[in-house]
Amino acid sequence: MTRISRRGLLAGTAAAGLVSAAGPSFSFERVGDRKILVFSGGQPVPVLDPHVRYDWSTRMIQQSVFDGLAKYVNNPPQIVPWLAESWETSADAKTWTFKLVGNAKFHNGDPVDAEAVRFSFERGLRLNKGVAWMLSAYLDPTGIVAVDPRTVRFNLKAAFPAFITYIPLWFIVNPRQVMANQVGSDMGEAWLTTNDAGSGPFKIRRFEPQSVIQLDAVEDYWKGWPMGAQNRLAGVVYRIVREPAPRRAALQRGEVDVITEQTPDDYDQLAAARGFVVPNEVGVTTFAVTMNTTKGPTADINVRKAIAHAMDYDALIQIHNGAAKLMTSPFPDAIPGYVAVPGMPRKDLAKAREFLSRTQWANGGFELEYVHVQGLEDPRRIGLALLNSLQPLNIRLNIVAQPWPTMVQRGARPDTAPDMVSVYVTPVSMDPDVIAGKYHPRSHGQFWGMHHLTNAELASAIEAARSEPDQARRLAMYGDIQRKVVDLQPEIFGMLANRRWGMRDYVKGFVYCPLRLTGEMDLYSLWIDAR
Amino acid sequence: MIVYVVQRVLLTGLMLFGLICITFTVSNVAPSDPAALAAGPDATRDMVETVRREYGLDKPIWEQFVRYVSDLARGDFGRSIVSTRAVGTELAQYFPATFELVALAMGLGVLVGVPLGMLSAVYKNRPFDHLVRVFAVSGVALPAFWFGLVLQLTFAAQLELLPTSGRLDIASPPPPPVTRMFLVDSLLAGDWQTFADAFAHAILPAIVLSFPCLASILRVNRAEMVEVLSADYIVAARAHGVSPWRIVAVHALRNAMLPTLAMIGLRYGWMLGSTVLVETVFDWPGIGLYAVSSAIAGDFKPVMGVTLLIGLNFMIANLVVDLLYGWLDPRLRAAQ
Repeated sequence: MTRISRRGLLAGTAAAGLVSAAGPSFSFERVGDRKILVFSGGQPVPVLDPHVRYDWSTRMIQQSVFDGLAKYVNNPPQIVPWLAESWETSADAKTWTFKLVGNAKFHNGDPVDAEAVRFSFERGLRLNKGVAWMLSAYLDPTGIVAVDPRTVRFNLKAAFPAFITYIPLWFIVNPRQVMANQVGSDMGEAWLTTNDAGSGPFKIRRFEPQSVIQLDAVEDYWKGWPMGAQNRLAGVVYRIVREPAPRRAALQRGEVDVITEQTPDDYDQLAAARGFVVPNEVGVTTFAVTMNTTKGPTADINVRKAIAHAMDYDALIQIHNGAAKLMTSPFPDAIPGYVAVPGMPRKDLAKAREFLSRTQWANGGFELEYVHVQGLEDPRRIGLALLNSLQPLNIRLNIVAQPWPTMVQRGARPDTAPDMVSVYVTPVSMDPDVIAGKYHPRSHGQFWGMHHLTNAELASAIEAARSEPDQARRLAMYGDIQRKVVDLQPEIFGMLANRRWGMRDYVKGFVYCPLRLTGEMDLYSLWIDAR
Repeated sequence: MIVYVVQRVLLTGLMLFGLICITFTVSNVAPSDPAALAAGPDATRDMVETVRREYGLDKPIWEQFVRYVSDLARGDFGRSIVSTRAVGTELAQYFPATFELVALAMGLGVLVGVPLGMLSAVYKNRPFDHLVRVFAVSGVALPAFWFGLVLQLTFAAQLELLPTSGRLDIASPPPPPVTRMFLVDSLLAGDWQTFADAFAHAILPAIVLSFPCLASILRVNRAEMVEVLSADYIVAARAHGVSPWRIVAVHALRNAMLPTLAMIGLRYGWMLGSTVLVETVFDWPGIGLYAVSSAIAGDFKPVMGVTLLIGLNFMIANLVVDLLYGWLDPRLRAAQ
């Protein structure tokens, strides 16, 4: 007979107690009678400093802790006043004047004034990181003037009608706090990596870049709360769970309230289950297979056109379980100036053969390399669809998975860029130039410029459109640019995958804006409607 | 003995320098541009150059190496190009989490592996021994990321017995940092609820991390025990009527423990390396996870820092085992 000693029994009970005491919570977290929303994604937030870095998760936290002069909201995207209550521009689009609201204050109580705005833009330009590229060609630190405590003027070096589309992406920091923590001449960069100097709706409680970021709602946020003060959250926790399967499990268990970066199957199953909602919105992230236009068979435009007409476009939609739409232009639909380009290539083998017959490889017989980012499932499956599509043309495809840094490094130079690369691009602003710039020689060396397309006519059209102050004329110019790009076929224009999130049905206040980056949500408007 | 100790310490220093050379070379031949990656996808060439200058990546490679080694000599691991913070600070922040996990896994490996190995030897070639062999082989063969996900989906998602990932429930604040090991700190603070929470979070990753180690300890211990149990002095002890369990657990086990001890030392360093997979699956914010996220971002200073730290730990563990050997085994001492 087995004897259980008293000590053994006690130890066993203690162990069981430990496990049950730490069992999962099956509903949202609370602080007093207010709730905490838990958002989970796979990407860390290495840096809080809004002038140094941005990606979807980083910007979601930055947008919550800091305010900009204006903000992107709604679908189609609009720019609404935020720290600035109004603005005006000169006829030549070179001088921009912003009038600030009078009641905004930083989390430490300091007022948000024109000097703070001037300092923040100067800091962004001087650090020359993160957001600097958006304005550095047009704005010098000396061109920013705090006219009076509530007026800021930007004197640009040249006409820049798209200036306002970048304003929502420049956040305002408190100069007093930042400079008080300056080390050497770093303008507070080291300090602002993990510390809060913002005026946004949330302040930082806990910042652990690799695991959890906890935000507390600012009780008396100067802009007020859209869901009413009684319904506002106590705070938000962004929890980093790197694998999609445990992330989904955490949502199903009620450990988290919102998840992102899941597989299409995950979303479909969640949408069919009770208690969950899956927002399913048309995105602006373009997917393209860029082709090296400088060497090998893809340097020949007819080969590129043959490939584009051989591609099985239906497969792109099937891979996303229907939650995607084919691109009808190099521009995503939500970008101003978008036109549906007539004659966008679709699968047509006869046409494909005809294009190929105009080349020295009339019967195919060559191999192309298709590179995608290691670990990403969709581009791998798209590669397989492409492999099947090219077989009738007797073109072989070598599908290669490479780490992102390797792929970018290879693509930076025309002689090392692969024949074909799968690339997702998310526009950061509403400015059509962001997308048009993908086809300008200035894109060479960037990951979206791996086609290394050089076309003088197109390049000058893009430059002219960039500085055209008349909006109607400008948008018309972009129509021509889109048609020209399709004509040059530097890539297979793929699809716009829908943006999806898995949410508990008690999460309310979600407002979709396509100009947020992939998984990013505006946490400000969210609340929990449950007891 | 002193000569022996000095020799071992000098050899360890030499190995460390070798490791520095290797990690530096590997990091610099990897085809990626850390400055371009850190500057972001939209960065202009001028912005990339700013980052390159700031981190000294514009200097010739030999100069970067000399600078890296001289910085290391002053205990400076450099700065992460992604987080912009000092790698030394970040290592100090993440290492305790890893050490806590490894210590727990090692404890589990020894506490389960040694008795199972001992019992396998006693019941050699009987059904129990075969069963344990299957267990041990799976321990070595199962890939950690797969095993981790399966445990996570079974015990966390389906049975809802344990949390899926992380170190603490998201709503619980971490205990006041003393050692930064949550289990120890919560005990020091007398906070039993946090201790229970931290313990529940550590169970699954510790099991996954300990499994291969447990299996090796088990097999080595079994092999040694089988050999020792057939030794003359065991026969003599039996003939003297010493109780069978006393013979196994005291006389035989003590003599069979020498190679097991070596195995434990080796496994400690090896386990630190395995945390890369386990920490990624369980989102355990330790040096393994730090190394992975840095490597993905092409951020080499943290990767080199983690490699050196693991290497250093490995060497120290080996040194300690070597010295313990010298102390435990008189023959080895005599040979010096």
